[in-house]
Amino acid sequence: MGTIRESELPGIGKKYQVETDAGDKIVIVIHDDGRREIYHFEKDDPDETISHVTLEDDEARQIASIIGGMTYKPKALDSIQVSLEELVIEWCKVEPSFKCINKTIAELEVRQRTGATILAIVEKGQQKINPGPDDQLRANMTLVMAGERKQIKQLKELLLHG
Amino acid sequence: MDHIIFEVGTALLLVAIASLIAAKLKFSIIPFLMVLGMLVGPHAPIIGIFDFTFIESQEVISFLGRIGVLFLLFYIGLEFSVSKLVKSGRNIVFGGTTYVVLNFVIGLAYGFLVKFPLYETLIIAGMLSVSSTAIVAKVLVDLRRTGNSETELILGMILFDDLFLAVFLSVMSGLLLGGATSVGGILLSVGISMGYMLLFFVIARTATPLLNKLFNIKSNEILIIVVFSLLFFIAGFSEKLHVAEAIGALLFGLALSETVHSKRIEHLVVPFRDFFGAVFFFSFGLSIDPLTLGDAAWIAIGAVLLTILANMIAGMIAGRNADLSHKASTNIGLTVMARGEFTIIVANLGIAAGLMPMLKPFSALYVLILAILGPLLAKESKLIYSGLNKIFKWSKPKEKAQSES
Repeated sequence: MGTIRESELPGIGKKYQVETDAGDKIVIVIHDDGRREIYHFEKDDPDETISHVTLEDDEARQIASIIGGMTYKPKALDSIQVSLEELVIEWCKVEPSFKCINKTIAELEVRQRTGATILAIVEKGQQKINPGPDDQLRANMTLVMAGERKQIKQLKELLLHG
Repeated sequence: MDHIIFEVGTALLLVAIASLIAAKLKFSIIPFLMVLGMLVGPHAPIIGIFDFTFIESQEVISFLGRIGVLFLLFYIGLEFSVSKLVKSGRNIVFGGTTYVVLNFVIGLAYGFLVKFPLYETLIIAGMLSVSSTAIVAKVLVDLRRTGNSETELILGMILFDDLFLAVFLSVMSGLLLGGATSVGGILLSVGISMGYMLLFFVIARTATPLLNKLFNIKSNEILIIVVFSLLFFIAGFSEKLHVAEAIGALLFGLALSETVHSKRIEHLVVPFRDFFGAVFFFSFGLSIDPLTLGDAAWIAIGAVLLTILANMIAGMIAGRNADLSHKASTNIGLTVMARGEFTIIVANLGIAAGLMPMLKPFSALYVLILAILGPLLAKESKLIYSGLNKIFKWSKPKEKAQSES
């Protein structure tokens, strides 16, 4: 997941700058009058726009639902999230901004506070299946988590806010 | 007597036509309405029942224009939240301060250079320092630059400029409208207007919960009556304290800016601001005799050149300080260069105080040139950047752009 920067444009609206993992820079501006604008910037020159799209409020909502996968969910994603009745297995990357960084699983009280389990920790070049309570979480790790949907949600909150 | 509605109606019709033409040409309506006002006015022909001199209705039109000023500044106050300013980053504070100081100092130097008296020099320096929020925002939206990296900085600098305008207008109205002649008297009237302003800042910061409750009015009809009546009352009351009425309107907006209702009030005000604002530019044009423009031409052109230079330098300093590229920094200077409503408001304060009559044609020409030139230069920023790049050699050809930091 790329970084999103939110800023205020007084008199115009709000601006969201997104840098995707693929290296694309996109800026979305929501005007106070409801219009949306999307800009796509050149990779090697962040001052030059390649293209821009202007959307009315209703168009923006419709397109958001298409991008959000509400109308059609790609099959490839099924392998990332396996759902067995109530049990869900999900992947989550630890971003550098997360509060859980440098804490051990025991310190975070993962089981006691959320009920979910961390099945595996995947890091660049190495992976650990069934980590113990003393394993520390570091930035850019990917965690494989199992639990009920609600528990997974709580665990994600825990990772984010510590 | 009964012609009055017809006359005002004719004037508004002309305003509407000028606005339509401006929109067709994708241009700010400000210069169009000013020129229109200058063309009709006392020298215009009378064709049948159409009297384009608007002598009978001048009072009404200029009153509507005055209302326009109140709405323009009330809106600025609403948009300008103190907490936004407190939160604004170091770059914005630095950029905004550089911008205002550089322009003001150059304005002062210019005033002394052309041997204007002290008050006139101060007014000129103020006129040169205040960018046009309306034109800048329009340019950013029209040129589709809202997504650019320099946009936050530009808008932040404009916010700073608005704060400067508030302080400047209240000091100057204390100086000029107070009518004091002794040093003590002048200090007292400046003190009153500064204190008056501080009072509103404090209200905006501390009395927000109370205002939230007071303006918690469900009906739009009643909210609009309450807000507008207070707006006029406070503006008028400010005048009684020898604080310019425009400042009263701005401060009232400021007081409401932190409330939960600010967005809703903004929404209600926008159509009034747009309509009466248009009449304001037209009525300013009406008050100018085109034949007097010649006297002020050279001084105005000099001021324009200085403004272009000062804005480019300030934009470059602000942009580079915020780690923006030279290209983005060029955009800053070119975008904030436009002058419009606020410059006229500053000039009007000087005119109301009975300063040199030259101020009027000077401000008209100065604003007219920069309201047209500013957006044009912003539009051609790529060309200007590559021209400047040839002189200053900021960045090498594209394939080496990576090594340039």
